[in-house]
Amino acid sequence: MTDQAKGHLLGRRSLKIASFALAAVLVSSVFQPASASSTATGNIQVEHYFSGDLGKKAFDQIFPACEKSTGVTIKAPTIAHEAFKDAILVQLAGGNPPDMFSYWAGAKTQSLIDAGQIGSIDDVWASAGLDKVIPKSISASASTYGGKKFLIPFDYHYVGMFYNPAVMAKVGIKTMPTTWPQLLAVAYKLKAKGIAPFALGSKNRWPAQFWFDYILLRTAGPAYRAKLMAGQASYSDPQVVAAFAQWKTLFTKGFFNTSPNGIDWTDAADQVSSGKAAMTLMGTWVTGYWDGKGLKAGTNYNFFPFPKIKAGVAQAALGPVDGWVMSSKAQNAPGAKAMLECLAGASAQKIMALTQGALAPNTTTDLSAQNSVMRAAAKQVAGSAAFVFNYDLATPPAASDIGLDALVHFINTPADAVKILAKAQTDISATFKK
Amino acid sequence: MVGRSRRWAWIFLSLPLGTYTAVVAGPTLYSFYFSLTDWNILKGSHKFIGFANFTRLFHDSEFWQAFTNTAFWTVAGLIASLVFGFALAFGLSRTTWGSRLIKSMFFMPLALSLVVVGFIWFWLYRLDFGLIDMTLRHLGFPHLVQDWLANPRTALPSVIIAWTWQQISLSMIIFLAGLTAVPAELFEAAQVDGARLPAQIRHVIIPSIGPAISVVISLALINALKSFDIVYVMTQGGPYGKTETLSVMTYREAFKKYDFGYSSATAVVLFVMTILIIGGYTYISKRGSDERS
Amino acid sequence: MSVLDTKNGRMPFRRSDTSAVSKGSSRVSWLMLALALLFLIPALGVFLTSFRTDTDISKHGIWALSGNLTVDNYMAMWNSSSVRIYMRNSFLVTIPATLISVTFGSLSGYVLAKLRPRGSGFLSIFLISGLFIPPQILLIPLFQLFNKVHLYDTLWPMIIVHSGYGISLCTLVMKNFFAHVPDELVEAALVDGASEPRILRQVVLPLSRPALGALATLQFTFIWNDFLYPLIFARSETAQTVMVGILNLGGQYSTAYGSQAALSIVASLPTVVVFIIFQKQFIAGLTTGAVKG
Repeated sequence: MTDQAKGHLLGRRSLKIASFALAAVLVSSVFQPASASSTATGNIQVEHYFSGDLGKKAFDQIFPACEKSTGVTIKAPTIAHEAFKDAILVQLAGGNPPDMFSYWAGAKTQSLIDAGQIGSIDDVWASAGLDKVIPKSISASASTYGGKKFLIPFDYHYVGMFYNPAVMAKVGIKTMPTTWPQLLAVAYKLKAKGIAPFALGSKNRWPAQFWFDYILLRTAGPAYRAKLMAGQASYSDPQVVAAFAQWKTLFTKGFFNTSPNGIDWTDAADQVSSGKAAMTLMGTWVTGYWDGKGLKAGTNYNFFPFPKIKAGVAQAALGPVDGWVMSSKAQNAPGAKAMLECLAGASAQKIMALTQGALAPNTTTDLSAQNSVMRAAAKQVAGSAAFVFNYDLATPPAASDIGLDALVHFINTPADAVKILAKAQTDISATFKK
Repeated sequence: MVGRSRRWAWIFLSLPLGTYTAVVAGPTLYSFYFSLTDWNILKGSHKFIGFANFTRLFHDSEFWQAFTNTAFWTVAGLIASLVFGFALAFGLSRTTWGSRLIKSMFFMPLALSLVVVGFIWFWLYRLDFGLIDMTLRHLGFPHLVQDWLANPRTALPSVIIAWTWQQISLSMIIFLAGLTAVPAELFEAAQVDGARLPAQIRHVIIPSIGPAISVVISLALINALKSFDIVYVMTQGGPYGKTETLSVMTYREAFKKYDFGYSSATAVVLFVMTILIIGGYTYISKRGSDERS
Repeated sequence: MSVLDTKNGRMPFRRSDTSAVSKGSSRVSWLMLALALLFLIPALGVFLTSFRTDTDISKHGIWALSGNLTVDNYMAMWNSSSVRIYMRNSFLVTIPATLISVTFGSLSGYVLAKLRPRGSGFLSIFLISGLFIPPQILLIPLFQLFNKVHLYDTLWPMIIVHSGYGISLCTLVMKNFFAHVPDELVEAALVDGASEPRILRQVVLPLSRPALGALATLQFTFIWNDFLYPLIFARSETAQTVMVGILNLGGQYSTAYGSQAALSIVASLPTVVVFIIFQKQFIAGLTTGAVKG
């Protein structure tokens, strides 16, 4: 045994060589802290969550362009989306913040402001003249908190009912539904042909929220929803109970695919593109997914806005806004501000929108290269009464965490809606009280 | 001589002891302190609140869900490790050829990380496309087809089975080492007596592999209580908390909800649970062996 | 006896050829081979996935025999700078942390088994109790610490934490091993006037190569396969190890089953290779204490 082990892993010579090589590697650049703050002017530390191939592709163009125009040097580590979510707040609290970082507009940004982690950028807003190029509907909800500007809107998505035109044609539907009864009529026709009207993939919870968002928005209206999101209304209110009851009918009629909680939103998108299902309520990022599979906008997929349910309710558009914020402890605030101004510009937002398949908040962005579906989505937002954030961005993280679980629970057993809502209310109100 | 050795003893000990204290013992104590504070980094609060976090834990349905899941995991994992691990080891010890190859095959899961094990089992449990659902449909049980990881009734057992796949390899190795050390005379004597196989196992083999059983039990308990990676990869604790363990809850409270104080309290409960279970087990087995000898 | 009871522990290096249960039958071999194949079926899924395009997977799943096989996923791995970084990081963490923890464990194991200074009973329990400390309890204090000293998001936290956390297991194994090295050997060397470091280096360590090999194999596998520490202590690609890297391949708005499967296989290669070469040591390390000394 001793002989066998000799010269293997821990032979003395190999150990020496190994430790020498190791020492050489240890001092190499890999071990330099990525977040070491530099005081040298013209250097800024940027962190963002636009991960994956597309994100990389976009920022390989955006950052060099902005470095050139501002004269600021950017240090930006590649961070995976989930890792960013886990780390950024803890990092801020640890007193080791980047100069600026990407963030989700809405309740999440509000919580950073409350904790004093990000600084106002009123001066950037004024000097860049953003009031002229960012639509009021977006700046009011995404950028302005307590009368001050904190976030530069960088890209956004619109959530709509994406469908497969070929499948709709197969059951003889030429005009898309604009009211709830029309939607139900379409669903009956599809179901009769053995096609699932709606595909939902809520394995990661969040895809389920859009149904709740839109039904509540179309029945109780944006004003009530805002109150609920802020903890000033209850999940056991008749408005919320009614919204769930409305949603429940779709389940009891068998309008959804089997086991939504078992599949991803991409699986749901696949069901639509393959013709197994007809529609999926999803954000415009789904177009990027389909384009990647070689589908054609307009012919292979299209969308219509979520139908009206109740008369007299303002027709709000729904979606997330990604933005940039500046750390209140930024080492190089002037550098960060110059960079924010560049990212608010049309040329940066054009690259972002075209590579990521997103919409651009800056209205001067030239998006003529974008496909017809994306252009129609942008038009839809522009014509909407209000632009509001999806559930997990509209309500604080602690509350949405409970709420999303409740949605998944509801999808599993729709009959328990009232019980599930009551429990969610108890747990969520506790998070607002603390 | 003794004096010189003692000096060297402390010199040798200084680095391991220092590192261990800084990285393991110290942080553990700190967590005990943190568990007594209201420390939410989102809210910027940080103050001493005594045992309030623990009071909150005991009224938190999420905690009890995680606690029950962990307990179920521990018991199921323990039983599976003992039963399947022993059965396979016993079978292996009675092979006449190919034992090296067969052994290597059974050991293979041990070389894999739980992240990879999670991915492996994902392709068995997946709705429609998974091997289990495809087999069920093929055999004519389409009504049993489901997403095993999304159904609140099957999710936890499914994750535990995936984890057990690796755990069985571990316990089998240990049982095998125990079995190969059982003196031959014992077994043959029993055979001459005409005892049947189950009786032989019960009266001859099991008593003589006591140490192996102890190690299997200890490892199964520790690993079950620590279970985190595979849950993170397969279900993230879902559907709605049905697969959340105390380890996962500790992580989620800290890095998803930013409630450091509360997370520390959960970690402390997990720690105390581990010490009680392992300590209790050690005490019982020690007393047992003392009585026997 | 349990893991904590270190007095009787022994490395079961010698396999008894006259083992009680070595008498078997050819039928058992066939049965066990069949079971082993069945046992490995789950792993087949990852292989199949790694040779399919994502479009193919979303259309047919992975178990259907239709669809084309492709090595695109592996080519993408080969050409991906991220994957190279992840793999390099895993080696840069695993190798030093393995060496350090084994070295430290040998030092403390030797002291506790042979030099036995005052309080070594307590020190043994202190050092070895780390086996029962759930890693989750360390996360928040260590996160704070590494953030404060600007080591967060480098490879250092992983190296440091694994070196420290590994001390418990290494101390346990080495202490058990040294306990069986005859005292006379050490004493004879002392009489000859050798210093303690020289005795350790020239008398004791050469004897303990098998134990060191076993331990290094175990530690290498554990550290390589770890997922929790890189998840918490690193955030950017430049500092993440391959186990977290597998998850990172799936983006915010994308899935990457094919390349995730390919990377799972590539990431498992080092431990599988180590496992195949050092299988004996690996098993010996795991089965410490499973056999009565």
